[in-house]
Amino acid sequence: MKTKVVLKFSPEASNQPITHNLIAKHHLVVNILRAEIDEFGGKMVLELSGKAEDIRKGLEYLKANRVGVRPIKEGVRRDDDVCTHCGMCVSICPTKALAFDPKTGKVTFTEEKCVACGVCIDACPPRAMEILI
Amino acid sequence: MTKSFEEIRKKVADGDAVVMTAEEFKQYVKDNGVRKSAKDVDIVTTGTFGAMCSSGAYFNFGHSDPPIKMQKVWMDGIPAYTGLAAVDAYLGATELDETNNMLHGGAHVIEDLVRGKAVRLRATSYGTDCYPRKELDTYVSLKTVNQAVLFNTRNCYQNYAVATNSSARTLYTYMGKLLPEFGNATFSSAGELSPLLNDPFYRTIGIGTRIFLGGGQGFVIWEGTQFNPGVPRTPDGVPKRPAGSIAVIGDLKQMSSDFIRGLTFTKYGTSLGLGIGIPIPILDEEMAKSCAVTNDQIFTAVFDYSEPTRSRTVLREVSYSELRSGEIAIKGRQVPTSSLSSLAKARQIAEILKNRVIKGEFMIEKPIQNFALDRVFKPLDVRTEKEAT
Repeated sequence: MKTKVVLKFSPEASNQPITHNLIAKHHLVVNILRAEIDEFGGKMVLELSGKAEDIRKGLEYLKANRVGVRPIKEGVRRDDDVCTHCGMCVSICPTKALAFDPKTGKVTFTEEKCVACGVCIDACPPRAMEILI
Repeated sequence: MTKSFEEIRKKVADGDAVVMTAEEFKQYVKDNGVRKSAKDVDIVTTGTFGAMCSSGAYFNFGHSDPPIKMQKVWMDGIPAYTGLAAVDAYLGATELDETNNMLHGGAHVIEDLVRGKAVRLRATSYGTDCYPRKELDTYVSLKTVNQAVLFNTRNCYQNYAVATNSSARTLYTYMGKLLPEFGNATFSSAGELSPLLNDPFYRTIGIGTRIFLGGGQGFVIWEGTQFNPGVPRTPDGVPKRPAGSIAVIGDLKQMSSDFIRGLTFTKYGTSLGLGIGIPIPILDEEMAKSCAVTNDQIFTAVFDYSEPTRSRTVLREVSYSELRSGEIAIKGRQVPTSSLSSLAKARQIAEILKNRVIKGEFMIEKPIQNFALDRVFKPLDVRTEKEAT
């Protein structure tokens, strides 16, 4: 099983080997899609692979250590009333979460592919994209 | 066989006109050939929706009591030009407030008005014997003003460039965000759906042509600024560079926020996202042939926007089929492409316009005057008074 999560670390939690423990103690394969740290703590976007039970325990371990856990779907949101489907975002999206469908002429947004990098936010002319993390 | 404007207008009035969108017509020509298509079809509807910077709206606000001769005007904080009579002002789409807030420029105020919102109007003046008031602070909306007229000096470019970036840093341009080292390429034309690409020599689109403008009806009132028909063309006459453009006018009160949008180009400024559709009468086989043009027969040039000059090197020519495929080759790399022009909205406009013509709600017009084909696009050089005279 695979899942993508957005983690928010407090400044204290940023000093703990939390990612190491996910791998070593919970037997998860961790793919770091995005990581950053500043004076307010850290943010990470991870793809976790492993047995469903191990993923559940791993997420519990994170919560117990005061790491905020949110599903990736809550990373970037598109306002469909604002989007004009021009397609400016398509060529800059590194994971192809934003893609052009030539049949409909519309831009599709596959939330599961999004890593919440935020590159699309300031590229969108009508400002339809919003980053939530 | 040929059909006159008058014959086609009569068919529209009688509800007998055969109307197709540009995409439907291209398929019809593929299946039936040019000759039969010219005979069977009367009107082809085109459409485009994109950033059209040379846009704005003028207003007549009515007179306050006591009245004011407005010398400076702000609409929701955005300065409007009022070097006209007392209560007339023109708000440009790319105008910004004093803080250069690019999230809310003139174009956004125009969108807000179209959405039915009230906008804060501030005006100052020096006061005259006939207009004694010196300050005014109030709210206006499309319901309160006398005239609200979209009046654009250059829209609907016939073809446009492709932008890319060879430099080591991200560029923020009017062609959008250009990633370093040929990270992407952006283009801005509706291609085969675009009005002027279906009438490459402006036979049916000229001064007086009735158009779909921002959801309502408007007119072509002049050639657009920078009108440049003499660019290189394909053997079929389709321009391979930005060529013609149109100046347009229409009642803002008829328009819809589906087709009028404030846009922000980060670190560049604001622009107006605008939808335009033009019906093209199929007068003869030549018109049918021009309206049959498809994306693989329309070409444009790729330019490196990191070159800070008005005459950038052409990296290559590329067709709109290639651009629409999602990537193009530039200097041996596969570069992802993005459109700044909405294909979905272009199609929607062509479809709405088709239905309006079929229902008799939208009449085609013969141009009062055609555009001059000898216009050239001159550069601006730093010159002496004598050299300019």
